[in-house]
Order: sequence, then structure tokens, then C-alpha cells
Amino acid sequence: MTEPIILDDVCVMLGDRLALDSVSLHLDAHRIAVIGSNGSGKSTFARVLGGLVSPTTGTVSVHGVDPVRQSAALRRLVGFVFSNPDAQIIMPTVAEDAAFSLRSEKLPRAESAERVRVALEEFGLTELADRAAYDLSGGQKQLLALCGAVIRRPQLMIADEPTAYLDARNARLIADHLLAPTDRRLVLVTHDLELAQRCDVAVLFEDGRMTGVGDPADLVSRYEASLAC
Amino acid sequence: MLTLYRPGTSWFYRAPAGPKAFVLLLVVLAVSLLPSTYLSAAIAGAVTVLAYIVSRVGVAELGHQVVATRWIIVITFGFQVLFLPMESAIANTARVVAAIVIAALLVLTTRVGDLLDAFERGLRPFTRFGLDPARVALVLAVAITTIPVLTRLAVGVREAQRARGARAGLRSFVIPFLVVSLKHADELGDALTARGVS
Repeated sequence: MTEPIILDDVCVMLGDRLALDSVSLHLDAHRIAVIGSNGSGKSTFARVLGGLVSPTTGTVSVHGVDPVRQSAALRRLVGFVFSNPDAQIIMPTVAEDAAFSLRSEKLPRAESAERVRVALEEFGLTELADRAAYDLSGGQKQLLALCGAVIRRPQLMIADEPTAYLDARNARLIADHLLAPTDRRLVLVTHDLELAQRCDVAVLFEDGRMTGVGDPADLVSRYEASLAC
Repeated sequence: MLTLYRPGTSWFYRAPAGPKAFVLLLVVLAVSLLPSTYLSAAIAGAVTVLAYIVSRVGVAELGHQVVATRWIIVITFGFQVLFLPMESAIANTARVVAAIVIAALLVLTTRVGDLLDAFERGLRPFTRFGLDPARVALVLAVAITTIPVLTRLAVGVREAQRARGARAGLRSFVIPFLVVSLKHADELGDALTARGVS
């Protein structure tokens, strides 16, 4: 996967609000942080990349895939983690929820079970495999959501404020999983500026416009200076 | 939730989901079709106890399930005793509770994934009429999982109202509850799309 993420003059209208305003970008970094205030367009940007929101105008290419016209290919390429872990759990128990992500792949039962076993082990959920997913703590639920996304072996992971609902310990745990050195690329929407600085590149959004792209430390400083005004 | 899979290793757990569901359906039907007599109530009770012993799920779990149906017992018996003789009210309530508790054996001993697979296989003949078994199975799974979420959302709405000093009332509860439920449905839709469900 060598092709970059490209947005060309992308606008998104949500109702009568311009959520993204003429965003043009060319990103080929491995780990990309997306920062900005509430309502700045960060989540809409992530949703456009994840094929959950279609651009009103402009074109998007996510590693060579058009999210609008090639949705099946995009689903194979991209995993998505949201901020609210409750809304990401589909099945009643932990193991069943992890396995749910593989249903669309129609794998043989043994292969599916093995992938579930390995994924639960990777995220420290093996002991909880038969527990009701809704009885888990917030951190465990988010780990399960991440597990459910990673088990499909996506080449790009998009995480929209994945640590927003978590305490410091669980937030660090999720961040370490997301930022672990793998072949998987990452687009991380976050308000955690320390986390943003662990990425290779940052993108700054303000009022629906992309106002900066580059070194995370520089952009975080710029963002913090704008907050002080 | 009324029931949820309890891990176990007995022969009943290992039995394939489809045939197990079919056998339980026959037992539930047989109990439901009993006449409204005291003898029928006793038979329904005996069959239920026997089912929990034979399946090795255990009488203690049967107790939990009966306790979980307490409001169904109260409402069913309460309405029936107003309009029917005592014998009919007791027999009908016993049959309803027995049917629910016996049916619960299926979800107590079968993982939801296996149930959905069996359900999909069972519905496959209907594909010629345009039915999508995978989609129907998914709707069932989401419905099962959403029950505790809605309960939690309802508790959250009540707590928020209490924190702001609002009086308890049906109208003041229903509107915010609908709003948060719809928001949850929206987020769940995105999560399903993100996990490959188109």
C-alpha cells in the first residue's frame, strides 16, 4: 500500500452547515494525527475517509480507493474505531462480538475461531471471552471495539477520538495499541495533544477548513497559541 | 436481559443449534397446547423441571429464570383471575411461564453466533421469495444486544432529569429517551457499516 490519501477540493454539507470547506490534502505518512476544536471538521474528515459521509463536492482517494464508488474495497482496506464504545458492540458476548467482524468474510469456522483467539489474546481479552460485552468497563469495551476492527486486518485504521470516554490508564492502553509499530497505517482524530505528537504528521482543522499540515510539534504549538487568544 | 448464554459443557450445550431449537419448539408447543386444568399446570411444571435437569443446566438456573419472569407471572395471573375461574388462571399462567422458561434453555446453552448460523440455514429456503437470511439474523442479534443498552440509556435519562430537579413523568421521559435512542441507532449504523455490513 504505497498510494497516499488524497483529497481534492472536498466540501461536505451536513444539513445547512458547511462541515468541510474546500479541503485539499496529500498525505502519505504512516501515522497521521488530526487535531482541532469541537466542530472544526476533524470527525467529518475521518468519516469521509471511512466512507461514512460522502463529499458534497470534490474527490477523495484513500490509498487508491474511492470511498464513494468502491465501498466494498474500502471496507476491506479500512478499520474504524469510534469514541463511544457502547455503540460499537453488536453481539452479546466478547468472543461473539470479535467474531462478528469476520462474518462478512465467510471464513471456515476453524480459521475464524483461531483469528478470534489470537485477537482476544493480543488485546488481553481472553479471560473475558464468554462475558457479556455490556458488563465490561469502558476501557475493556474500547479494547473490544479495537479488537473487532483489527481482527479484519485493515491496512488503515481510522480512530475518531478513541480515548475520549476513558480514564488516563485505559486511554494510554488504547493509544499504545493504536500507535504500536505495525504495517497498519493510522489516522487518529484526537483532542489529546500529547498523543498527536506521537504521530508522524498532524493535520489541523479550524471551522471546517484545513489550516495546517506538517510536523505534529509545530502544529500543536500553533493550535495551543490559537486557543490562548 | 431475561437470558444470556451461560458457559457449560453438557451434551445439551454441545448439541447443534438447529435440532436443539426444533426439539425445544416441540416441547414448548406441547406445553402450550395442554388444557386449562390443575393437572396441566402440574405437568407444565414437571416438564420444565425435567428439561432443566436433563439438559444439566440445573434447577438453580431454573429458579433464576422463574424469578426473572415474575412480572409476567403477576400480570398474566392478575388479568386472568379477574375474568376466568381460578383453575384456568393458574393453568394458563403456568403454561405461559413454562413455555418462556423452556424456550430460555436455547439461549442459555447456545452461543448467539451459533444461533444466528442455524437461523440463517433455516431461513435459506425463503431466499427465493427475496428474503435475506443474513440480514434477518443480524437484525435479531442487534435486537438482543440493544435491550441492555436501551435500559442503560433509560437509567441515564432518569438520572439526568433527577439531577436537574425535573419531576418524573411519562412525557418528560419519553422525548429525551427517544432522542438518545435514535442517536444510539445512528452510531450503531455507522459501526455496522465500518465492520463490513452494507
